[in-house]
Amino acid sequence: MQTEEFEAADHTITDFPSMPQAEFKVETVFGIRIGSMGFLVPTTIYCEVLDKIQVNTLPNVHPWVSGLLNLRGNLVPVFDLRIVLEEETASHIKRRLFSIDRGDKTVALWIDDFPEVKDSTILQPLKELPPLPQILQSFVTDGYEQNGQVWLNVKFGDLFKALGRH
Amino acid sequence: MSKERDGGMINKSKIAPETNIVSDPVIVIEQLADQSAQAGYYALQDANLVLAETNGNVGEIDTDDSGNVPRISEQRLVDEQIVIIERLADQAAAEGLYGLQDANLLLAEALLEAVKEGPVTADADFLMMLSGWSKLIDSYRQQPKIGAEAIIGFLRHPILKIPMGDDEFALLQEQLATEIFTNESIQKLSGNAPALAPLIGQAVNASGNEFSGSVSRVAQELVDLLLLESEQVRSCLQDIIITDRDSVQNSLQRAGDELERFANAAKTAGFEGLARICTHVNLNLQRFLEQVDSFTSEHLELLLEWLGQVQEYLPSFNESNAGQLAVVGLTDEQWALPLSFEELTAILLQIRSESLTIGDQFEAARVQTATDEDISIALPDDVNQELMELLLLELPVHTQQFSEAVQRLQSNGSEKDVEVAQRVAHTLKGCANTVGIKGIAVLTHHLEDILMACASEQKLPGRALVNALLKASDCLENMSEALLGFSSPPDDAKAVLQEILDWANRIDKEGMPDSETEEILPETQAASGDTDETLEKSATEPLQTTMVRVAAEQIESLFRLSGENIILNGQAQERLRRVNDQLQAMQMQFALLRQLGAELEQLIDLKDLTGLSSGLNGTGFDALEMDQYNELHTASRRMAEAAIDAREIGVDINKELEQASEVLQYQQRLAIEAQEVVMQTRLVPVASITPRLQRSLRQTCRLTDKQSELVLTGEELLVDGDTLNALVNPLMHILRNAVDHGIEIESDRLSQGKPGNGRIAIGFELEGNTLLVRCLDDGRGLDYDAIRAAAEKRGVIESGQEVSEEELKRFILRPNFSTRTVTTQTSGRGVGMDAVYAQIIAMGGTLTMESESGRGMTIELRVPLPVSLTYALLVNVGQYRIAIANKGISQIHYSGDIQLITEDDQEKLLLEGITYPVAKLDDLLHIPGHRKQQRPHGAMLLVQNEEKTTAVLIDSVVDTRDVVIKSLGQYIGKIPGFIGATILGDGTVTPVLDMPELLRAPARPINSLYTYPTDIEEPESMMPTIMVVDDSLSQRRALEQLLSDVGYKVRTARDGIEAVNLLAQVKPDLVLTDLEMPRMNGIELTAHIRAQSSLRKLPVIMITSRTTQKHRQMAEESGIDFYLAKPVRDEDLLVKVHHLLEQTADTERKIA
Repeated sequence: MQTEEFEAADHTITDFPSMPQAEFKVETVFGIRIGSMGFLVPTTIYCEVLDKIQVNTLPNVHPWVSGLLNLRGNLVPVFDLRIVLEEETASHIKRRLFSIDRGDKTVALWIDDFPEVKDSTILQPLKELPPLPQILQSFVTDGYEQNGQVWLNVKFGDLFKALGRH
Repeated sequence: MSKERDGGMINKSKIAPETNIVSDPVIVIEQLADQSAQAGYYALQDANLVLAETNGNVGEIDTDDSGNVPRISEQRLVDEQIVIIERLADQAAAEGLYGLQDANLLLAEALLEAVKEGPVTADADFLMMLSGWSKLIDSYRQQPKIGAEAIIGFLRHPILKIPMGDDEFALLQEQLATEIFTNESIQKLSGNAPALAPLIGQAVNASGNEFSGSVSRVAQELVDLLLLESEQVRSCLQDIIITDRDSVQNSLQRAGDELERFANAAKTAGFEGLARICTHVNLNLQRFLEQVDSFTSEHLELLLEWLGQVQEYLPSFNESNAGQLAVVGLTDEQWALPLSFEELTAILLQIRSESLTIGDQFEAARVQTATDEDISIALPDDVNQELMELLLLELPVHTQQFSEAVQRLQSNGSEKDVEVAQRVAHTLKGCANTVGIKGIAVLTHHLEDILMACASEQKLPGRALVNALLKASDCLENMSEALLGFSSPPDDAKAVLQEILDWANRIDKEGMPDSETEEILPETQAASGDTDETLEKSATEPLQTTMVRVAAEQIESLFRLSGENIILNGQAQERLRRVNDQLQAMQMQFALLRQLGAELEQLIDLKDLTGLSSGLNGTGFDALEMDQYNELHTASRRMAEAAIDAREIGVDINKELEQASEVLQYQQRLAIEAQEVVMQTRLVPVASITPRLQRSLRQTCRLTDKQSELVLTGEELLVDGDTLNALVNPLMHILRNAVDHGIEIESDRLSQGKPGNGRIAIGFELEGNTLLVRCLDDGRGLDYDAIRAAAEKRGVIESGQEVSEEELKRFILRPNFSTRTVTTQTSGRGVGMDAVYAQIIAMGGTLTMESESGRGMTIELRVPLPVSLTYALLVNVGQYRIAIANKGISQIHYSGDIQLITEDDQEKLLLEGITYPVAKLDDLLHIPGHRKQQRPHGAMLLVQNEEKTTAVLIDSVVDTRDVVIKSLGQYIGKIPGFIGATILGDGTVTPVLDMPELLRAPARPINSLYTYPTDIEEPESMMPTIMVVDDSLSQRRALEQLLSDVGYKVRTARDGIEAVNLLAQVKPDLVLTDLEMPRMNGIELTAHIRAQSSLRKLPVIMITSRTTQKHRQMAEESGIDFYLAKPVRDEDLLVKVHHLLEQTADTERKIA
């Protein structure tokens, strides 16, 4: 299986060249909050906060697949990581749709409030990651801490592919 | 000497000298010189003047009576020679070869004078030379250049004392060498080059095509190559748009580059004269480039005309008048640098002289031994990218054609197949030479020679030679794939080339072996009728159309955009429909308004009559005699008119909307058509996978020692490339199973009255939007008793349980189900039909089997092809609006027709006396219970799924329409029953369902929050696992493909360290390792394996390019089982692998 993983890693890099992978080390990052967790997205990737856009729900899919967006003619899947994190949504927080990447590589996820722009140099690396749901553990590469908030670097491309498998 | 240029022709009779020596030859010769000058033949004038001068000297000599009188016999000899020479002069004059006439006359005169002096007859050597003069003239006619040199050399003999300077001799030599090329065609151009016209004279007919002869094959190839190159120049010139300065500049620049390349190619090929012409034209091109603004269409015409003449010249380069048009055209004054007369003659001379030797330099003796360089498919540094692109397009087609022709030769070949194979080999060689792919060029060169020998001796290649040709065709296909980047270069190329070389050398030496044709099996010839059609087809195959390589991404973008176009059109139509609805409503309001206006008018009129009649009292008119109007009247009237106007405007708008609707519908048709065209670019012919299938069959036959042929039909079908590629592995499984399980050994077949060779047929057909692949074999078919026994042994059924053959057939689709008690390298380890079934199901397809014991087996695969557009029902289910593709839907019924009954606690539909199983769409889609029990379903669909029909209940059908299917993207995996999603007219997104697929999909829990996706479980294979360790990606992939094609599970590692890590998790059955690798080499890896107690007996094969005894010894000391030096033939490797695996299995059995 190991070799397959090597091959899979090769493919991942080839297929999703712009997706955030563990190798990304950039000075400025977007910080997005989902529940108690924070996630980092490199600013080198095209991202958008989407407003007033209809999420079309799908039957017969995993609960964390909220549906599909019609984003300028592209079908964009929407993921709800709160469900993956097994956290309830606080009623007072306005959730927004945050899209990552362009064209047919675009993927969207629900985030709490607007994303923050962070200087990665002021984030303190975590020696140990906090307890995470099993599926997330496989795709989190490293974690940081700032003022008590945990920020995770995640291989989003691989994570969404795993979450979208039916 | 003054030279007056005159276009007049020389009258032979006027200038022909008298054969008798007149008393005053000087006067006669001077007259002749004058006549020559008047006729424009200045070389002859010069010659006459020289003669006159010589004769003047002669006169002086005449008076000198030295007494040195020659002997009579020798004197007679010389006199006879003079008569002969004078006749030769006459003959030359009659042929229009005036230079030759001059030479003869000069010699005759000189001899006459020299005789008088005496030393001529005294010099025996000279006399000997003189007697060979006629032969010299003959050889001059054969080889003008060399002959002219020899003639001049003779004339310069000191005895003759011809009083001419070096330059005059040189001029005469040039004339001698040139004049033989003159022909009628120059006369046509005499307007451009008047000075040339006299040169041609009547020489044309005399010389005719006397020099043309058969062109050597090599020379013909060179000509073909040059013609190919010349097309590049033409293409650049044709790109020129005269009115666009940039276009002129760029295209001229490119044409210049191509012309330079062409000139180089011509020079290399031995067409040095042509190369000189090209260089001259290129100078003109550069001059045109310097003055782009003054470049006119006439200049372009000139260039194209010249190129056309070059292209005419090349195929007939060995004819006497070849090349003249191409050269003479360059003297046109329209050229920036017209060609001078001297250059013209020199080039013509060169063209003529080299025409006899072209191709000779390439006719080298056949080599005996293949070298690494001979099999190299490395691209040359200066590769022409355009040609390379063309080659990449053509290569797979040609290699496949070659392979097919050779395969036909193997089974039921005819001479036509030899011709086809030879033609394709020739084309391949030409293409490869053009680009510079030596490996292909060399191999095809020798292949072509072998096939030519077959054709010329009218003998078909025998089995051994066909086998060699098959290996060569496989090797060519591998090389082609390697160039396309699909695989690594073939390892066995050198061995294959050597075998072909051996054959070619043997045939060179001994001719085609007679016994070869007799080896062809009689039974295989019987089927010749089957392939006559394909043979005819390949023979009459049309020329390839021009192809363009476009990035797949670009096609994808086009496809997406065309889809968007349809979606936007749908949205526009939706808007239009809404506007129409609103217009209808508005028109109703207008009608109401008009009605109200009319009512209001009536009311006002009534009021007038009743209440205002008194108002007319003062005028003396009665109210009925005169209408009186106030503002109310006016306002009501205006309102009524406005209502009518509004209605008319409404009618106009309606018409406009109707027209807009027509335009939109037309646009929709175009958009759909555009998308279909784009879709077609993604289609590939089924034939593209046949080489792999044929190779797989051959390998399996070799391993099982059985004889079988594979016949494919429907290869011309164009189907989606991804679908076709996904089918390759299942088909190879089926082929292997058919050979191993189905086809009997030859003796058994013959005893059953079957042909010795097994026959497997794979047919491809399109059934609507489904690809049907039918695989038949004429083997022993399914052994139901063995399946039953295996099923009982595995506990699937109980002993003695009644099970139908239909059910028994389905057992072999179960994971790891095998009837084999002993495993073989090809099957019997449980892998096979279950893997095929899993793959087909994953593709949304179906698999059915038919078998009759002893008669063979038929497997039918039906695989849906991707659709971009489908007609769909828009239905409501719960809160969802869903599009259901019409595939499989046979009927739609509404609630009134639905009559559900309960049978065996299951709901069923009774329709026209037939009961159908019932499924509810909300259940199939796991939509949580929203339905109140009492509310019935609004509609029902009868869905055909495989062989049964199911009634599917839905809430309601909203609409039907064409929908564009879009992929759910790379993050949403395949959802059973979903074929994608579509964007509706209002912009909402809805899934598109494939009902038959949804009905087949297994039930699965989807609502659990904690059910995380797991790895897809592939059917577990019991085939041995082989670990391939190699640092070369291409080598790793090639071995992986070879081994997995045979059926092994393969694990790969990039070096020893990775292999060690992998060995900690997986224990393979065998390791194939390279020797030299980074971090840990093969020897260290083997040492590590031997040091581990759990792995100590793991067989290790080392494949390396190191062939020295030192390396071999070191590897053996580390504990390897086999040391294989590259190149390794696939068969050899597989035999070694098989042997080691068998050995290990035996050992394990003994231990057990």
